[in-house]
Amino acid sequence: MANHRFSSVSEEEKPCCGISRKAQICLCVLFVLLIVVGIAVSVGILMWRQPPKHKEWKGPGTTAHFYEILLGRCYTYTQIVRPELRHTDCQKIGKAFTSAFLSKDPCGSTEQDYRPLMELTTQTVPCDKTLFWSKSSELAHDYTWVQRDMYTLEDTLLGYMADGLKWCGDAGSSEMNYQSCPHWREDCSNNSVSVFWNTVSKRFAEDACGVVHVVLNGSISNTFDEKSTFGRVEVFNLHPEKVHTLKAWVMNNIESVPSDSCSSSSVNNLKQILKTRNITFVCQNNYRPVRLIQCVKNPEHSSCRYNL
Amino acid sequence: MATLGLASSLPLLLLVIAGAGGARWRGEGTTPHLQSIILGRCAEHVALLNPEQGEKNCTAIWEAFKVVLDKDPCSVFPSDYDLFINLSRHSIPTDKSLFWENNHLLVTSYAENARRFVPLCSVLYGRMGDFLSWCRQENASGLDYQSCPTSEDCENNPVDSFWKRASMQYSRDSSGVIYVMLNGSEPTGAYPVKGFFADFEIPYFQKDKITRIEIWVMHEIGRPKVESCGEGSVKILEERLKEMGFQYSCINDHLPVKLLKCVDHSTHPDCALKSSSPGTQELRKGTTCS
Repeated sequence: MANHRFSSVSEEEKPCCGISRKAQICLCVLFVLLIVVGIAVSVGILMWRQPPKHKEWKGPGTTAHFYEILLGRCYTYTQIVRPELRHTDCQKIGKAFTSAFLSKDPCGSTEQDYRPLMELTTQTVPCDKTLFWSKSSELAHDYTWVQRDMYTLEDTLLGYMADGLKWCGDAGSSEMNYQSCPHWREDCSNNSVSVFWNTVSKRFAEDACGVVHVVLNGSISNTFDEKSTFGRVEVFNLHPEKVHTLKAWVMNNIESVPSDSCSSSSVNNLKQILKTRNITFVCQNNYRPVRLIQCVKNPEHSSCRYNL
Repeated sequence: MATLGLASSLPLLLLVIAGAGGARWRGEGTTPHLQSIILGRCAEHVALLNPEQGEKNCTAIWEAFKVVLDKDPCSVFPSDYDLFINLSRHSIPTDKSLFWENNHLLVTSYAENARRFVPLCSVLYGRMGDFLSWCRQENASGLDYQSCPTSEDCENNPVDSFWKRASMQYSRDSSGVIYVMLNGSEPTGAYPVKGFFADFEIPYFQKDKITRIEIWVMHEIGRPKVESCGEGSVKILEERLKEMGFQYSCINDHLPVKLLKCVDHSTHPDCALKSSSPGTQELRKGTTCS
């Protein structure tokens, strides 16, 4: 068979010097390919034969060194960022966190799983200092980094600990799955990570009082997205007897043509929802202090020029 | 006689009591849970922020660090951190080094967690020590959680020696354009002639790797401008760099940093921005155009 292939190759090639050398090279390449395929097939069979330790999912696996990072962040937060919390028992919190998902089906996560963790970590955000965000993560967090008396969820203990991390376990194992974790869309929405964020977001909204704020992205079509965590969870868990006003800061990209995003239909949708919940809605386009944050990246832009 | 003796030694007695029950040293005591914080920061740096440095062994780095926790708190030298530094050092992208004096928080905000710049506190060894304090007890093993020596107590204390050694390394590994942020509202002068930058960073600049040095003298919004480019201690710095043969430039209130400072002073006249076009923001009307 190899000879057949060999001769058909040589027939197609145009006559020129070194045909036999070329043909030899082709033969070698074919040989190597055959060996590689052979190895790949054997390995494939072997792997298929072995029962997988963890289930395979479509999303990235648990963050490397998850537990060390979690604990380290808990201590950094309670000793340095908010030292008034220095008596917090981070070991207990770490254990409560992992027991919420270890040895459990990562597609069957519930709020109950996180109940022990929630009970260990109550943190009150002062009234008028809660800042929600939707499709504006970097901007909102750059803002609270400078304006330290306002809090996004990620500026509270649990949010700070979990921000950017991924985690999941497996019903058949007591270990974390570092290979893969369920993808929200392609595997299941009730996965350990999504349920965590829904749970803490709900409480973050429930605990808010006074005037609450939200940074929205005016440069996308669904500035207020009903499917986002803000739209699905936070808006509906504000308590009207505690929260009387929601102020939206709708920010446009600096480079875009200025537009009145506050009057867009999606923002109007938010206004209507809040109206039915008895919460006043106020909207500001390009709130100046947040615009200044954007200006840091574009200091030469015309809207960032100083008046002298 | 006894009462007289008591009366005269009362202040001394009070001092002794204060010493016994209170702080031995002038500085903050060891940060609780030091090991977890340091290990966690190392893990975070490697896992999340710089996966290309995945070969860093955080356990080994911690083991190298903790040798100083067994030493007399007034006998810890920069060289005691050599192994720690060797295990944790990594390259710094060129043109991204940011040196500073007297504006720690501003630098961290502006550096944007190493996306914009990589100051010392964003480098692995700097990140691990940032805002922490540590020292052994003076006459016993075990950490002192009440207080730790500052330079006023003794020169060779664990924390100062750490930052001296870290600063030297940071300087040695910096290349390209070097940026320096100084505080021109600091009453004692923007460029401390005796300080980490002056004594442990400038002397370790690698002339063959540095193209030029750019100084930013920032002023607090609404506070007096104690010094600006070409004045006072800034002038001393400029002359020193000139003598060393470096090409340098100086900018007062570098605009992007000033914009950041304005975020929590947005209504101050020094932070008034021109309005870009009419009718975009009803709030801007009448507040920006003079």
